[in-house]
Amino acid sequence: MKLQIEKFGKTLISRELGSEAFKAFQPTLREFSHDEELEIDFAGVLTLSPSWADEFLSPLLSQLGDRLILLPSDNLSVHATLKILLEANKHPFNIKS
Amino acid sequence: MDEKLITISQAAEYLGVSLNTLRRWDESGKLVAIKKDGGTHRYYREKDLEIFASDLMKFASEWIQDGIEFPSTFYCPTSSIFNARLTKMQSALMQKPGFEKLYSLIVLVAGEIGDNSFAHNLGKWSDTAGIFFGYDLAKGIIVLADRGLGILETLRQVRPELPNHVTAVKVAFTEFISGRAPEKRGNGLKLVREVVMEQPIDLFFTSGDAEVRLKGAGKVFQVTRGRRTVRGCLAKIEF
Repeated sequence: MKLQIEKFGKTLISRELGSEAFKAFQPTLREFSHDEELEIDFAGVLTLSPSWADEFLSPLLSQLGDRLILLPSDNLSVHATLKILLEANKHPFNIKS
Repeated sequence: MDEKLITISQAAEYLGVSLNTLRRWDESGKLVAIKKDGGTHRYYREKDLEIFASDLMKFASEWIQDGIEFPSTFYCPTSSIFNARLTKMQSALMQKPGFEKLYSLIVLVAGEIGDNSFAHNLGKWSDTAGIFFGYDLAKGIIVLADRGLGILETLRQVRPELPNHVTAVKVAFTEFISGRAPEKRGNGLKLVREVVMEQPIDLFFTSGDAEVRLKGAGKVFQVTRGRRTVRGCLAKIEF
């Protein structure tokens, strides 16, 4: 399954809204089969901050582990944010090259 | 000399302050009005108002230091208003030549600092809730400030042993803080430091008496003790 992050907004900054996005996504995730992968597509996102991502991607990583796949992006803020989350989370993100 | 004058009501609307504030500012000399032929009505030159409203650091510093009122156009009482104004700034910055890719990192830095103010002070504002957020993209400057708890007090919720502002600010900008609950200070300021160190972006940040100055080529990260103690946080981003 592919998730267009853009559906939560193009400017993803606040910790509060990252947490809201995670909660809103939970019902979809419950219908998810145990062997399915979730691909995160950042296309269309203008700015992603570590606070938003820490509330959304970090808990998703805990839930899905290696089944969470991040698709490549040429946006500088997406790059920088994923790099810091990689350092902060003990379990590394699976980034598709 | 034939420059068009505007009335005090128009000036109040332009700056987003009350008539009484303008009268007070006139009496104190902060923003002097023009009186025609010795009359009592106050008038202003639009150009003077523009110049007055452009001193972002002065407004932000005076507000966090002494609670002095500033034009309401720079005030974001809630996180959602801040997000809306940040998105507006982002649209304008994307159009600026040379910033077609860099815009997202500048918005990240400003967004992270501004959002921290809301995330760490929710329900704990000592007087005025919300932040100062002003920018001038032509000059390449963004100023953010809050009258909240400041870095030391918020970090002491997870690190009670922190001795002073300088150490607290250093921790906020350099360390991953484990066991963050109940204080959700994440990795935002670490990334702000990394981005500013690598990109043509300068940062001045102060909280309590701690100061961070990252400017020009060959930036070195260090936290120093400044001469004055500010309440909350104040940041100036230049690019």
